[in-house]
Amino acid sequence: MNAPHAAGVTTSAAVSARGLAKRYGGLAAVDGLDLEIAPGEFFGLLGPNGSGKTTTMHMLATLVRPSAGTACVAGFDVARAPVQVRASIGLVFQESALDRTLTVAQNLRFAGLLHDLPPRVIEERSRELLELFDLTERRDQPVAALSGGMRRALDIVRGVLHQPRCLLLDEPTIGLDLPNRRRIWRFIERLRARTGMTVLLTTHYLEEADGCDRVVFIRKGRLVESGAPRELVAGLGRHILEVEGADLDALVTALEPKLGDALREGDVAHFRCAEEDLALLARLQTEVGGKASAWRVRRPNLNDVFLWVAAGKRVA
Amino acid sequence: MVFRPIYAVLERELLRMVRQRTRLVAAMVRPLIWLLVIGGGFAAIAGADYKSFLVPGVLGMTMLFGAMLAALGTVYDKESGVMRMMLVAPLPRAWMVAAKLIAAAVAAAVQALLLLVLLALLGYAGRGTDWALLAAGIAATSFACAGIGMLTASFSRTLENFAGIMNFVIFPVFFLSGSLYPVRELPPVLYWAATLNPYTYGVDLLKHALLAGRTGADFSVASDLAVLAAATVASAAVASWRFSRESAYEPMIHVPAGRSR
Repeated sequence: MNAPHAAGVTTSAAVSARGLAKRYGGLAAVDGLDLEIAPGEFFGLLGPNGSGKTTTMHMLATLVRPSAGTACVAGFDVARAPVQVRASIGLVFQESALDRTLTVAQNLRFAGLLHDLPPRVIEERSRELLELFDLTERRDQPVAALSGGMRRALDIVRGVLHQPRCLLLDEPTIGLDLPNRRRIWRFIERLRARTGMTVLLTTHYLEEADGCDRVVFIRKGRLVESGAPRELVAGLGRHILEVEGADLDALVTALEPKLGDALREGDVAHFRCAEEDLALLARLQTEVGGKASAWRVRRPNLNDVFLWVAAGKRVA
Repeated sequence: MVFRPIYAVLERELLRMVRQRTRLVAAMVRPLIWLLVIGGGFAAIAGADYKSFLVPGVLGMTMLFGAMLAALGTVYDKESGVMRMMLVAPLPRAWMVAAKLIAAAVAAAVQALLLLVLLALLGYAGRGTDWALLAAGIAATSFACAGIGMLTASFSRTLENFAGIMNFVIFPVFFLSGSLYPVRELPPVLYWAATLNPYTYGVDLLKHALLAGRTGADFSVASDLAVLAAATVASAAVASWRFSRESAYEPMIHVPAGRSR
Protein backbone atom coordinates (compact mmCIF):
# COMPACT_ATOMS: atom_id res chain seq x y z
CA MET A 1 0.00 0.00 0.00
CA ASN A 2 3.06 2.19 -0.12
CA ALA A 3 2.81 1.99 -3.89
CA PRO A 4 1.73 5.15 -5.70
CA HIS A 5 -1.93 5.35 -6.57
CA ALA A 6 -2.90 5.42 -10.22
CA ALA A 7 -4.14 8.76 -11.44
CA GLY A 8 -7.88 9.04 -11.77
CA VAL A 9 -8.59 5.95 -9.73
CA THR A 10 -11.15 6.28 -6.99
CA THR A 11 -10.20 5.40 -3.47
CA SER A 12 -12.55 2.41 -3.41
CA ALA A 13 -11.07 -1.07 -3.73
CA ALA A 14 -9.50 -2.10 -7.02
CA VAL A 15 -10.72 -5.64 -6.49
CA SER A 16 -13.22 -6.87 -3.96
CA ALA A 17 -14.80 -10.29 -3.72
CA ARG A 18 -17.39 -11.60 -1.28
CA GLY A 19 -18.07 -15.29 -0.89
CA LEU A 20 -16.78 -15.94 -4.40
CA ALA A 21 -17.28 -19.57 -5.39
CA LYS A 22 -17.02 -21.79 -8.44
CA ARG A 23 -18.21 -25.36 -8.54
CA TYR A 24 -17.60 -27.85 -11.31
CA GLY A 25 -20.09 -30.61 -10.69
CA GLY A 26 -19.45 -31.71 -7.11
CA LEU A 27 -16.00 -30.13 -7.03
CA ALA A 28 -15.57 -26.72 -5.43
CA ALA A 29 -12.66 -25.09 -7.27
CA VAL A 30 -13.17 -21.86 -5.32
CA ASP A 31 -15.15 -22.05 -2.11
CA GLY A 32 -16.29 -18.77 -0.62
CA LEU A 33 -13.34 -16.45 -1.15
CA ASP A 34 -13.22 -12.90 0.28
CA LEU A 35 -10.67 -10.48 -1.16
CA GLU A 36 -10.07 -6.77 -0.82
CA ILE A 37 -7.29 -5.22 -2.88
CA ALA A 38 -6.52 -1.49 -2.71
CA PRO A 39 -5.74 0.58 -5.80
CA GLY A 40 -2.04 0.48 -6.58
CA GLU A 41 -1.47 -2.51 -4.37
CA PHE A 42 0.88 -5.31 -5.44
CA PHE A 43 -1.03 -8.37 -4.35
CA GLY A 44 -0.07 -12.04 -4.47
CA LEU A 45 -2.49 -14.94 -4.64
CA LEU A 46 -0.54 -18.00 -3.53
CA GLY A 47 -1.37 -21.63 -2.99
CA PRO A 48 -0.63 -25.16 -4.15
CA ASN A 49 -1.63 -26.54 -7.55
CA GLY A 50 -5.37 -26.90 -7.88
CA SER A 51 -6.07 -24.56 -4.97
CA GLY A 52 -8.24 -22.32 -7.15
CA LYS A 53 -5.87 -19.46 -7.99
CA THR A 54 -6.41 -19.55 -11.73
CA THR A 55 -10.17 -20.03 -11.39
CA THR A 56 -10.25 -16.96 -9.13
CA MET A 57 -8.30 -14.94 -11.70
CA HIS A 58 -10.65 -16.04 -14.47
CA MET A 59 -13.72 -15.14 -12.44
CA LEU A 60 -12.26 -11.69 -11.77
CA ALA A 61 -11.54 -11.37 -15.49
CA THR A 62 -15.15 -12.34 -16.38
CA LEU A 63 -14.05 -15.43 -18.32
CA VAL A 64 -15.66 -17.82 -15.86
CA ARG A 65 -19.01 -17.16 -14.22
CA PRO A 66 -19.04 -17.45 -10.42
CA SER A 67 -21.40 -20.12 -9.02
CA ALA A 68 -21.98 -17.96 -5.97
CA GLY A 69 -20.79 -14.72 -4.42
CA THR A 70 -19.93 -11.40 -6.01
CA ALA A 71 -16.82 -9.69 -7.25
CA CYS A 72 -16.13 -6.12 -8.30
CA VAL A 73 -13.11 -5.09 -10.32
CA ALA A 74 -12.32 -1.38 -10.81
CA GLY A 75 -15.78 -0.66 -9.43
CA PHE A 76 -17.65 -2.90 -11.90
CA ASP A 77 -19.49 -6.08 -11.06
CA VAL A 78 -18.04 -9.07 -12.95
CA ALA A 79 -21.46 -10.63 -13.52
CA ARG A 80 -23.39 -7.48 -14.42
CA ALA A 81 -20.82 -5.40 -16.27
CA PRO A 82 -18.33 -7.86 -17.77
CA VAL A 83 -17.46 -5.63 -20.73
CA GLN A 84 -16.54 -2.69 -18.46
CA VAL A 85 -14.51 -5.02 -16.25
CA ARG A 86 -12.61 -6.30 -19.27
CA ALA A 87 -11.98 -2.72 -20.38
CA SER A 88 -10.41 -1.89 -16.99
CA ILE A 89 -8.14 -4.90 -16.61
CA GLY A 90 -5.20 -6.45 -18.36
CA LEU A 91 -4.92 -10.22 -18.15
CA VAL A 92 -1.81 -12.24 -18.84
CA PHE A 93 -2.65 -15.93 -19.00
CA GLN A 94 -0.43 -18.80 -17.95
CA GLU A 95 -0.21 -19.76 -21.60
CA SER A 96 0.55 -17.44 -24.47
CA ALA A 97 -2.26 -15.44 -26.02
CA LEU A 98 -0.18 -14.34 -29.01
CA ASP A 99 -0.49 -15.22 -32.69
CA ARG A 100 2.82 -16.90 -33.42
CA THR A 101 2.50 -16.32 -37.14
CA LEU A 102 2.14 -12.54 -36.83
CA THR A 103 5.00 -10.16 -36.05
CA VAL A 104 5.42 -8.44 -32.69
CA ALA A 105 3.98 -5.20 -34.08
CA GLN A 106 1.07 -6.99 -35.78
CA ASN A 107 0.17 -8.76 -32.55
CA LEU A 108 0.12 -5.48 -30.65
CA ARG A 109 -1.92 -3.83 -33.39
CA PHE A 110 -4.45 -6.68 -33.23
CA ALA A 111 -4.67 -6.48 -29.42
CA GLY A 112 -4.89 -2.67 -29.48
CA LEU A 113 -7.65 -2.57 -32.09
CA LEU A 114 -9.57 -5.20 -30.10
CA HIS A 115 -9.43 -2.71 -27.23
CA ASP A 116 -10.73 0.04 -29.52
CA LEU A 117 -7.46 2.01 -29.52
CA PRO A 118 -6.78 4.26 -32.51
CA PRO A 119 -3.86 3.01 -34.67
CA ARG A 120 -1.77 6.09 -33.85
CA VAL A 121 -2.10 5.45 -30.11
CA ILE A 122 -1.21 1.78 -30.62
CA GLU A 123 1.93 2.86 -32.51
CA GLU A 124 3.02 5.26 -29.78
CA ARG A 125 2.37 2.97 -26.85
CA SER A 126 3.90 -0.03 -28.62
CA ARG A 127 7.09 1.96 -29.15
CA GLU A 128 7.23 3.01 -25.48
CA LEU A 129 6.39 -0.41 -24.08
CA LEU A 130 8.69 -2.35 -26.42
CA GLU A 131 11.45 0.01 -25.27
CA LEU A 132 10.54 -0.61 -21.62
CA PHE A 133 10.57 -4.37 -22.20
CA ASP A 134 13.77 -4.43 -24.33
CA LEU A 135 11.90 -5.65 -27.40
CA THR A 136 12.39 -2.70 -29.73
CA GLU A 137 14.65 -4.63 -32.10
CA ARG A 138 12.16 -7.47 -32.37
CA ARG A 139 9.33 -5.25 -33.57
CA ASP A 140 9.04 -6.74 -37.05
CA GLN A 141 9.94 -10.34 -36.23
CA PRO A 142 7.30 -13.06 -36.09
CA VAL A 143 6.46 -14.13 -32.55
CA ALA A 144 7.53 -17.68 -33.43
CA ALA A 145 11.12 -16.39 -33.70
CA LEU A 146 11.13 -15.00 -30.14
CA SER A 147 12.54 -16.82 -27.11
CA GLY A 148 10.20 -17.94 -24.33
CA GLY A 149 11.23 -15.03 -22.13
CA MET A 150 10.66 -12.46 -24.86
CA ARG A 151 7.31 -13.98 -25.71
CA ARG A 152 6.22 -13.70 -22.11
CA ALA A 153 7.42 -10.10 -22.00
CA LEU A 154 5.44 -9.39 -25.18
CA ASP A 155 2.38 -11.03 -23.66
CA ILE A 156 2.63 -8.57 -20.76
CA VAL A 157 3.03 -5.65 -23.17
CA ARG A 158 -0.08 -6.98 -24.91
CA GLY A 159 -1.88 -7.03 -21.56
CA VAL A 160 -1.06 -3.41 -20.63
CA LEU A 161 -1.32 -1.74 -24.04
CA HIS A 162 -4.74 -0.31 -23.19
CA GLN A 163 -3.44 1.05 -19.85
CA PRO A 164 -5.61 -1.04 -17.55
CA ARG A 165 -6.11 0.09 -13.98
CA CYS A 166 -5.61 -3.44 -12.77
CA LEU A 167 -3.20 -6.03 -14.17
CA LEU A 168 -3.87 -9.71 -13.51
CA LEU A 169 -0.81 -11.90 -13.96
CA ASP A 170 -1.40 -15.65 -13.80
CA GLU A 171 1.97 -17.30 -13.19
CA PRO A 172 3.83 -14.71 -15.27
CA THR A 173 7.21 -16.44 -14.95
CA ILE A 174 6.16 -20.09 -15.21
CA GLY A 175 8.45 -22.16 -17.39
CA LEU A 176 11.14 -19.49 -17.62
CA ASP A 177 14.74 -19.82 -16.48
CA LEU A 178 16.09 -17.70 -13.64
CA PRO A 179 17.60 -14.82 -15.69
CA ASN A 180 14.38 -14.51 -17.67
CA ARG A 181 12.25 -14.63 -14.53
CA ARG A 182 14.34 -11.79 -13.08
CA ARG A 183 13.98 -9.82 -16.30
CA ILE A 184 10.21 -10.22 -16.22
CA TRP A 185 10.15 -8.96 -12.63
CA ARG A 186 12.30 -5.96 -13.54
CA PHE A 187 9.79 -5.16 -16.30
CA ILE A 188 6.85 -5.45 -13.93
CA GLU A 189 8.64 -3.23 -11.41
CA ARG A 190 9.29 -0.60 -14.09
CA LEU A 191 5.67 -0.78 -15.15
CA ARG A 192 4.39 -0.37 -11.59
CA ALA A 193 6.77 2.51 -10.94
CA ARG A 194 5.59 4.25 -14.07
CA THR A 195 1.84 3.62 -13.97
CA GLY A 196 1.02 2.79 -10.36
CA MET A 197 -1.39 0.16 -11.57
CA THR A 198 -2.80 -2.46 -9.24
CA VAL A 199 -1.13 -5.80 -9.85
CA LEU A 200 -2.71 -9.08 -8.84
CA LEU A 201 -0.40 -12.00 -9.26
CA THR A 202 -0.36 -15.74 -8.80
CA THR A 203 2.95 -17.54 -8.64
CA HIS A 204 4.62 -20.73 -7.54
CA TYR A 205 7.98 -19.07 -7.13
CA LEU A 206 7.52 -17.80 -3.61
CA GLU A 207 10.62 -15.66 -3.50
CA GLU A 208 8.95 -13.62 -6.24
CA ALA A 209 6.04 -12.86 -3.95
CA ASP A 210 8.40 -11.37 -1.35
CA GLY A 211 8.06 -8.03 -3.10
CA CYS A 212 4.26 -8.02 -2.79
CA ASP A 213 2.59 -5.53 -0.47
CA ARG A 214 0.30 -8.30 0.64
CA VAL A 215 -0.25 -11.97 -0.12
CA VAL A 216 -3.02 -14.44 0.56
CA PHE A 217 -2.61 -18.19 0.64
CA ILE A 218 -5.51 -20.24 -0.62
CA ARG A 219 -5.99 -23.92 -0.21
CA LYS A 220 -8.85 -25.98 -1.65
CA GLY A 221 -10.52 -22.77 -2.79
CA ARG A 222 -10.47 -21.15 0.65
CA LEU A 223 -8.40 -18.35 2.05
CA VAL A 224 -6.18 -19.71 4.83
CA GLU A 225 -3.65 -16.94 5.51
CA SER A 226 -3.20 -13.36 4.52
CA GLY A 227 -0.83 -10.56 5.36
CA ALA A 228 2.37 -8.83 4.36
CA PRO A 229 5.01 -11.42 3.41
CA ARG A 230 7.33 -10.25 6.20
CA GLU A 231 4.57 -10.57 8.82
CA LEU A 232 3.59 -14.04 7.63
CA VAL A 233 7.18 -15.21 7.73
CA ALA A 234 7.60 -13.67 11.20
CA GLY A 235 4.38 -15.37 12.30
CA LEU A 236 5.87 -18.72 11.38
CA GLY A 237 8.69 -18.33 13.90
CA ARG A 238 12.20 -16.99 14.30
CA HIS A 239 13.92 -20.12 13.09
CA ILE A 240 13.23 -23.29 11.20
CA LEU A 241 14.97 -26.46 12.32
CA GLU A 242 15.47 -29.03 9.58
CA VAL A 243 16.34 -32.54 10.68
CA GLU A 244 17.28 -35.55 8.57
CA GLY A 245 18.15 -39.01 9.78
CA ALA A 246 17.98 -42.74 9.10
CA ASP A 247 15.21 -43.17 11.69
CA LEU A 248 13.29 -39.95 11.12
CA ASP A 249 10.19 -41.25 12.91
CA ALA A 250 12.13 -41.70 16.13
CA LEU A 251 13.68 -38.25 15.80
CA VAL A 252 10.28 -36.66 15.24
CA THR A 253 8.80 -38.54 18.19
CA ALA A 254 11.64 -37.31 20.39
CA LEU A 255 11.44 -33.69 19.23
CA GLU A 256 7.71 -33.06 18.84
CA PRO A 257 6.92 -32.88 22.59
CA LYS A 258 9.54 -30.09 22.92
CA LEU A 259 9.13 -28.18 19.65
CA GLY A 260 5.55 -28.79 18.59
CA ASP A 261 4.20 -30.32 15.38
CA ALA A 262 6.70 -31.25 12.72
CA LEU A 263 6.18 -30.81 9.01
CA ARG A 264 7.44 -33.85 7.13
CA GLU A 265 8.68 -33.21 3.63
CA GLY A 266 10.21 -36.35 2.16
CA ASP A 267 13.28 -37.23 4.20
CA VAL A 268 13.29 -33.94 6.09
CA ALA A 269 11.34 -32.90 9.18
CA HIS A 270 10.77 -29.17 9.76
CA PHE A 271 10.14 -27.60 13.18
CA ARG A 272 9.17 -24.01 13.94
CA CYS A 273 11.17 -22.38 16.71
CA ALA A 274 10.80 -19.10 18.54
CA GLU A 275 13.77 -16.85 19.44
CA GLU A 276 13.88 -18.14 23.02
CA ASP A 277 14.10 -21.72 21.71
CA LEU A 278 17.76 -21.29 20.70
CA ALA A 279 19.12 -22.56 24.01
CA LEU A 280 16.66 -25.46 23.86
CA LEU A 281 17.82 -26.24 20.34
CA ALA A 282 21.46 -26.38 21.43
CA ARG A 283 20.53 -28.77 24.24
CA LEU A 284 18.37 -30.93 21.95
CA GLN A 285 21.18 -31.14 19.43
CA THR A 286 23.52 -32.69 22.02
CA GLU A 287 20.78 -35.01 23.29
CA VAL A 288 19.20 -36.32 20.06
CA GLY A 289 21.26 -34.62 17.35
CA GLY A 290 23.65 -37.56 17.33
CA LYS A 291 20.98 -39.71 15.70
CA ALA A 292 20.42 -37.14 12.97
CA SER A 293 22.43 -37.15 9.77
CA ALA A 294 21.67 -33.45 9.25
CA TRP A 295 20.66 -30.71 11.71
CA ARG A 296 20.14 -27.25 10.28
CA VAL A 297 18.80 -24.11 11.91
CA ARG A 298 17.92 -21.29 9.52
CA ARG A 299 15.67 -18.30 9.02
CA PRO A 300 12.17 -19.03 7.66
CA ASN A 301 11.01 -17.56 4.36
CA LEU A 302 7.81 -17.42 2.34
CA ASN A 303 8.48 -20.91 0.99
CA ASP A 304 8.13 -22.22 4.53
CA VAL A 305 4.82 -20.41 4.94
CA PHE A 306 3.73 -22.02 1.67
CA LEU A 307 4.78 -25.51 2.83
CA TRP A 308 3.01 -25.19 6.18
CA VAL A 309 -0.11 -23.80 4.52
CA ALA A 310 -0.04 -26.45 1.81
CA ALA A 311 0.19 -29.11 4.52
CA GLY A 312 -2.99 -27.70 6.02
CA LYS A 313 -1.37 -26.34 9.19
CA ARG A 314 -2.11 -23.00 10.81
CA VAL A 315 0.76 -20.60 10.52
CA ALA A 316 0.05 -17.60 12.71
CA MET B 1 -17.47 0.90 -30.00
CA VAL B 2 -17.40 -2.33 -31.93
CA PHE B 3 -16.02 -1.02 -35.21
CA ARG B 4 -12.30 -1.26 -34.43
CA PRO B 5 -12.46 -4.75 -32.88
CA ILE B 6 -14.36 -6.02 -35.93
CA TYR B 7 -11.81 -4.37 -38.17
CA ALA B 8 -9.01 -6.01 -36.13
CA VAL B 9 -10.45 -9.47 -36.76
CA LEU B 10 -11.01 -8.68 -40.44
CA GLU B 11 -7.50 -7.30 -40.94
CA ARG B 12 -5.96 -10.38 -39.33
CA GLU B 13 -8.09 -12.66 -41.54
CA LEU B 14 -6.96 -10.91 -44.71
CA LEU B 15 -3.33 -10.94 -43.54
CA ARG B 16 -3.63 -14.68 -43.00
CA MET B 17 -5.22 -15.15 -46.42
CA VAL B 18 -2.44 -13.29 -48.20
CA ARG B 19 0.26 -15.05 -46.20
CA GLN B 20 -1.09 -18.56 -46.74
CA ARG B 21 -0.43 -18.35 -50.43
CA THR B 22 -0.97 -22.04 -51.18
CA ARG B 23 -4.46 -21.77 -49.69
CA LEU B 24 -5.20 -18.83 -51.96
CA VAL B 25 -3.80 -20.59 -55.03
CA ALA B 26 -5.84 -23.70 -54.18
CA ALA B 27 -8.93 -21.52 -53.88
CA MET B 28 -8.37 -20.45 -57.50
CA VAL B 29 -7.22 -23.78 -58.93
CA ARG B 30 -9.93 -25.97 -57.35
CA PRO B 31 -12.89 -24.31 -59.12
CA LEU B 32 -10.97 -24.08 -62.38
CA ILE B 33 -10.32 -27.84 -62.27
CA TRP B 34 -14.02 -28.43 -61.77
CA LEU B 35 -14.92 -26.09 -64.56
CA LEU B 36 -12.32 -27.09 -67.13
CA VAL B 37 -11.73 -30.78 -66.34
CA ILE B 38 -14.99 -32.08 -64.90
CA GLY B 39 -17.10 -29.58 -66.83
CA GLY B 40 -15.14 -30.39 -69.97
CA GLY B 41 -15.72 -34.11 -69.46
CA PHE B 42 -19.42 -33.86 -68.72
CA ALA B 43 -19.94 -31.49 -71.63
CA ALA B 44 -19.47 -34.60 -73.78
CA ILE B 45 -22.73 -35.99 -72.34
CA ALA B 46 -24.66 -32.92 -71.29
CA GLY B 47 -23.80 -30.68 -74.19
CA ALA B 48 -21.39 -27.79 -74.65
CA ASP B 49 -23.56 -25.47 -72.56
CA TYR B 50 -22.74 -27.48 -69.46
CA LYS B 51 -19.53 -25.55 -68.84
CA SER B 52 -21.31 -22.22 -68.67
CA PHE B 53 -23.97 -23.83 -66.47
CA LEU B 54 -21.14 -24.78 -64.11
CA VAL B 55 -19.74 -21.23 -63.76
CA PRO B 56 -22.08 -20.10 -60.92
CA GLY B 57 -21.42 -23.39 -59.14
CA VAL B 58 -17.65 -23.03 -59.16
CA LEU B 59 -17.88 -19.37 -58.14
CA GLY B 60 -20.04 -20.48 -55.21
CA MET B 61 -17.55 -23.24 -54.41
CA THR B 62 -14.79 -20.68 -53.91
CA MET B 63 -16.95 -18.83 -51.39
CA LEU B 64 -18.02 -22.04 -49.66
CA PHE B 65 -14.44 -23.24 -49.18
CA GLY B 66 -13.05 -19.76 -48.49
CA ALA B 67 -15.65 -18.92 -45.85
CA MET B 68 -15.53 -22.37 -44.25
CA LEU B 69 -11.73 -22.34 -43.93
CA ALA B 70 -11.73 -18.80 -42.55
CA ALA B 71 -14.52 -19.54 -40.06
CA LEU B 72 -12.85 -22.77 -38.99
CA GLY B 73 -9.83 -20.58 -38.21
CA THR B 74 -11.80 -19.88 -35.03
CA VAL B 75 -11.08 -23.46 -33.97
CA TYR B 76 -7.40 -22.86 -34.73
CA ASP B 77 -7.59 -19.67 -32.64
CA LYS B 78 -8.99 -21.71 -29.78
CA GLU B 79 -6.26 -24.31 -30.06
CA SER B 80 -3.37 -21.91 -30.53
CA GLY B 81 -4.53 -19.59 -27.76
CA VAL B 82 -5.05 -16.48 -29.91
CA MET B 83 -8.70 -16.65 -28.88
CA ARG B 84 -7.53 -15.52 -25.45
CA MET B 85 -6.78 -12.10 -26.89
CA MET B 86 -10.35 -11.88 -28.18
CA LEU B 87 -11.82 -13.17 -24.92
CA VAL B 88 -10.23 -10.42 -22.85
CA ALA B 89 -11.31 -7.71 -25.28
CA PRO B 90 -14.02 -5.41 -23.91
CA LEU B 91 -16.57 -6.63 -26.40
CA PRO B 92 -19.75 -8.63 -25.85
CA ARG B 93 -19.25 -12.26 -26.92
CA ALA B 94 -21.89 -12.03 -29.64
CA TRP B 95 -19.85 -9.32 -31.37
CA MET B 96 -16.81 -11.54 -31.42
CA VAL B 97 -18.81 -14.15 -33.34
CA ALA B 98 -20.14 -11.41 -35.62
CA ALA B 99 -16.59 -10.13 -36.22
CA LYS B 100 -15.36 -13.59 -37.17
CA LEU B 101 -18.38 -14.09 -39.43
CA ILE B 102 -17.85 -10.77 -41.19
CA ALA B 103 -14.14 -11.51 -41.61
CA ALA B 104 -14.86 -14.95 -43.08
CA ALA B 105 -17.47 -13.50 -45.43
CA VAL B 106 -15.14 -10.74 -46.66
CA ALA B 107 -12.30 -13.25 -47.17
CA ALA B 108 -14.69 -15.44 -49.20
CA ALA B 109 -15.96 -12.50 -51.25
CA VAL B 110 -12.41 -11.34 -52.04
CA GLN B 111 -11.56 -14.85 -53.30
CA ALA B 112 -14.75 -14.90 -55.38
CA LEU B 113 -13.80 -11.57 -56.97
CA LEU B 114 -10.32 -12.85 -57.77
CA LEU B 115 -11.82 -15.95 -59.38
CA LEU B 116 -14.28 -13.77 -61.27
CA VAL B 117 -11.35 -11.91 -62.84
CA LEU B 118 -9.83 -15.25 -63.91
CA LEU B 119 -13.19 -16.44 -65.27
CA ALA B 120 -13.62 -13.23 -67.23
CA LEU B 121 -10.11 -13.58 -68.67
CA LEU B 122 -10.94 -17.15 -69.71
CA GLY B 123 -14.16 -15.94 -71.29
CA TYR B 124 -16.56 -17.61 -68.86
CA ALA B 125 -18.01 -14.43 -67.40
CA GLY B 126 -18.83 -11.08 -68.87
CA ARG B 127 -21.46 -11.17 -71.55
CA GLY B 128 -25.01 -11.17 -70.24
CA THR B 129 -23.96 -10.75 -66.62
CA ASP B 130 -26.21 -8.75 -64.29
CA TRP B 131 -23.38 -7.11 -62.33
CA ALA B 132 -25.54 -5.57 -59.58
CA LEU B 133 -27.25 -8.89 -58.95
CA LEU B 134 -23.86 -10.64 -59.06
CA ALA B 135 -22.53 -8.28 -56.38
CA ALA B 136 -25.57 -8.99 -54.22
CA GLY B 137 -25.21 -12.72 -54.90
CA ILE B 138 -21.53 -12.77 -53.92
CA ALA B 139 -22.24 -10.78 -50.74
CA ALA B 140 -25.26 -12.85 -49.67
CA THR B 141 -23.61 -16.19 -50.51
CA SER B 142 -20.38 -15.24 -48.72
CA PHE B 143 -22.29 -14.35 -45.58
CA ALA B 144 -24.43 -17.50 -45.68
CA CYS B 145 -21.30 -19.65 -46.16
CA ALA B 146 -19.57 -17.80 -43.31
CA GLY B 147 -22.64 -18.51 -41.19
CA ILE B 148 -22.45 -22.23 -41.99
CA GLY B 149 -18.73 -22.05 -41.17
CA MET B 150 -19.25 -20.33 -37.80
CA LEU B 151 -21.98 -22.80 -36.94
CA THR B 152 -19.62 -25.68 -37.74
CA ALA B 153 -16.77 -24.01 -35.81
CA SER B 154 -18.99 -23.58 -32.78
CA PHE B 155 -19.55 -27.34 -32.69
CA SER B 156 -15.90 -28.32 -33.35
CA ARG B 157 -13.58 -28.79 -30.42
CA THR B 158 -10.41 -29.46 -32.31
CA LEU B 159 -9.11 -29.14 -35.84
CA GLU B 160 -8.44 -32.87 -35.85
CA ASN B 161 -11.95 -33.55 -37.08
CA PHE B 162 -11.34 -31.37 -40.12
CA ALA B 163 -11.57 -34.41 -42.40
CA GLY B 164 -14.95 -35.11 -40.84
CA ILE B 165 -16.05 -31.57 -41.50
CA MET B 166 -15.02 -31.92 -45.15
CA ASN B 167 -16.97 -35.15 -45.49
CA PHE B 168 -20.05 -34.29 -43.51
CA VAL B 169 -20.41 -30.55 -44.05
CA ILE B 170 -18.57 -29.10 -47.04
CA PHE B 171 -19.14 -31.94 -49.51
CA PRO B 172 -22.86 -32.49 -48.76
CA VAL B 173 -23.49 -28.75 -48.85
CA PHE B 174 -21.76 -28.53 -52.20
CA PHE B 175 -23.20 -31.65 -53.84
CA LEU B 176 -26.72 -31.14 -52.47
CA SER B 177 -27.04 -27.79 -54.18
CA GLY B 178 -27.71 -26.79 -57.75
CA SER B 179 -23.98 -26.38 -58.41
CA LEU B 180 -23.64 -29.34 -60.75
CA TYR B 181 -27.22 -29.94 -61.89
CA PRO B 182 -30.58 -28.12 -61.96
CA VAL B 183 -32.28 -28.71 -58.60
CA ARG B 184 -35.75 -29.25 -60.06
CA GLU B 185 -34.55 -32.25 -62.07
CA LEU B 186 -33.24 -34.09 -59.00
CA PRO B 187 -35.07 -37.18 -57.64
CA PRO B 188 -37.53 -36.27 -54.81
CA VAL B 189 -35.31 -37.08 -51.80
CA LEU B 190 -32.34 -35.18 -53.20
CA TYR B 191 -34.65 -32.38 -54.30
CA TRP B 192 -35.92 -31.89 -50.76
CA ALA B 193 -32.44 -32.11 -49.33
CA ALA B 194 -31.31 -29.44 -51.78
CA THR B 195 -34.19 -27.10 -50.94
CA LEU B 196 -33.27 -27.39 -47.23
CA ASN B 197 -29.67 -26.41 -47.99
CA PRO B 198 -29.26 -22.62 -47.77
CA TYR B 199 -26.22 -22.78 -50.05
CA THR B 200 -28.54 -23.94 -52.86
CA TYR B 201 -30.10 -20.48 -52.88
CA GLY B 202 -26.68 -18.82 -53.09
CA VAL B 203 -25.81 -20.77 -56.21
CA ASP B 204 -29.29 -20.07 -57.54
CA LEU B 205 -28.77 -16.33 -57.07
CA LEU B 206 -25.43 -16.55 -58.89
CA LYS B 207 -27.22 -18.38 -61.73
CA HIS B 208 -29.71 -15.51 -61.97
CA ALA B 209 -26.81 -13.07 -62.22
CA LEU B 210 -24.51 -15.02 -64.52
CA LEU B 211 -26.95 -17.01 -66.67
CA ALA B 212 -29.57 -14.27 -67.05
CA GLY B 213 -32.27 -15.29 -69.49
CA ARG B 214 -30.85 -18.78 -69.89
CA THR B 215 -32.04 -21.94 -68.17
CA GLY B 216 -30.64 -22.82 -64.79
CA ALA B 217 -32.17 -20.90 -61.92
CA ASP B 218 -34.75 -22.80 -59.85
CA PHE B 219 -36.07 -20.17 -57.44
CA SER B 220 -36.91 -16.48 -57.52
CA VAL B 221 -34.33 -13.80 -56.69
CA ALA B 222 -36.46 -12.63 -53.77
CA SER B 223 -36.72 -16.08 -52.18
CA ASP B 224 -32.97 -16.64 -52.71
CA LEU B 225 -32.13 -13.41 -50.88
CA ALA B 226 -34.64 -14.11 -48.10
CA VAL B 227 -33.36 -17.64 -47.46
CA LEU B 228 -29.71 -16.53 -47.48
CA ALA B 229 -30.41 -13.66 -45.07
CA ALA B 230 -32.42 -15.90 -42.76
CA ALA B 231 -29.75 -18.62 -42.84
CA THR B 232 -27.02 -16.09 -42.00
CA VAL B 233 -28.93 -14.62 -39.07
CA ALA B 234 -30.01 -18.02 -37.74
CA SER B 235 -26.56 -19.59 -37.91
CA ALA B 236 -24.98 -16.47 -36.36
CA ALA B 237 -27.50 -16.63 -33.52
CA VAL B 238 -26.84 -20.32 -32.81
CA ALA B 239 -23.06 -19.83 -33.07
CA SER B 240 -23.24 -16.84 -30.68
CA TRP B 241 -25.19 -18.91 -28.22
CA ARG B 242 -22.69 -21.76 -28.49
CA PHE B 243 -19.75 -19.39 -28.03
CA SER B 244 -21.36 -17.59 -25.11
CA ARG B 245 -21.10 -20.71 -22.96
CA GLU B 246 -17.84 -20.81 -21.12
CA SER B 247 -17.34 -24.50 -21.92
CA ALA B 248 -16.75 -23.30 -25.47
CA TYR B 249 -13.35 -22.01 -24.38
CA GLU B 250 -12.14 -25.15 -22.72
CA PRO B 251 -9.43 -26.20 -22.59
CA MET B 252 -7.94 -22.77 -23.17
CA ILE B 253 -9.49 -21.05 -20.27
CA HIS B 254 -9.73 -23.38 -17.49
CA VAL B 255 -8.84 -26.85 -16.37
CA PRO B 256 -10.74 -27.67 -13.18
CA ALA B 257 -8.55 -29.05 -10.42
CA GLY B 258 -8.25 -32.80 -10.42
CA ARG B 259 -8.26 -33.08 -14.18
CA SER B 260 -4.96 -33.56 -15.91
CA ARG B 261 -3.82 -30.85 -18.23
